[in-house]
Amino acid sequence: MHIPDGFLDLTVAAVCALASIAALAYAARRVDGELSDARAPLLGLVAVGIFAAQMLDWPIPGGTSAHFVGGAFAAILLGPHLGALCVATVVTVQALVFGDGGIVVLGANVFNMAIVEVYVGYAVYRALAGHNEVAAAFAAGWLGITAGALSAAVQLGLSSAFAYELGTVVLIMGVGHLVLGLIEGAITAVVYRAVVDARPDVLPASPLREVRA
Amino acid sequence: MSPLDHPWFRTGLAILLVMVLLAPAFAWAAGQVGYAEPLENAAETTGATDAAETLNPGLMPDYGVPGLGAAPGTLVSALVGTALTLVLAMGMGRVLAD
Repeated sequence: MHIPDGFLDLTVAAVCALASIAALAYAARRVDGELSDARAPLLGLVAVGIFAAQMLDWPIPGGTSAHFVGGAFAAILLGPHLGALCVATVVTVQALVFGDGGIVVLGANVFNMAIVEVYVGYAVYRALAGHNEVAAAFAAGWLGITAGALSAAVQLGLSSAFAYELGTVVLIMGVGHLVLGLIEGAITAVVYRAVVDARPDVLPASPLREVRA
Repeated sequence: MSPLDHPWFRTGLAILLVMVLLAPAFAWAAGQVGYAEPLENAAETTGATDAAETLNPGLMPDYGVPGLGAAPGTLVSALVGTALTLVLAMGMGRVLAD
């Protein structure tokens, strides 16, 4: 889902960059002072986990594949604001050091993966966690990555390189990630469950636990 | 207290090391099946593929190391990327926790 340079019109890239800067500034202000020393290492682990997982491309035969993005995963484990900053760090390292995703379009890639996927994923998780937390994590990963892909598709579909074929791009990317997102959801749910079993105390208070309390 | 004093942090790092070691195998397998994301399929359908340009190849272009073979290059990239991301994220965590 990493957009390379040349794919987006400059105006689209600029609007996305401004939106990302505003969203990350908001996230940093919400997180500032609320992060405990005990949870700071978790931020490092989640960021590295997402970086490493994104390197593992799923080798699905048939021409359409993807890799784990992890926006919803970060949001559930870290909370949405810290999750956004975490994924933005990963996306920036990928672009600057590895040329994965363009420089001019970095704001768009941050917007899709670190803002849209994170906050949509978290909203889905919050809405469903009261019924079943693992199912909520699955749905968050699934719909979060689909939302991020749709956001990218709209940006691309509004750009001249894609001949302004908005409908075509939205259809290909939306359906593609709706199907591939099932794997994202499954990984999100399985790893979430493993973390809950191993160290429930490192997680932010979940809606379910808040209700029970 | 160092993060390494937390057993869960050490466990997490061990799992990450396994993922890093797996990276070359996944990269090879992705190449075998002709890995293409929906974004690339959409670019091909709309004729946008040739519009892609590389303004910044990065120090390790496409998760490889110039002059090094594919598998060792991927492995070195994975190690450098995970170490760099860990340092940056934990540094950010320190700043935000203060």
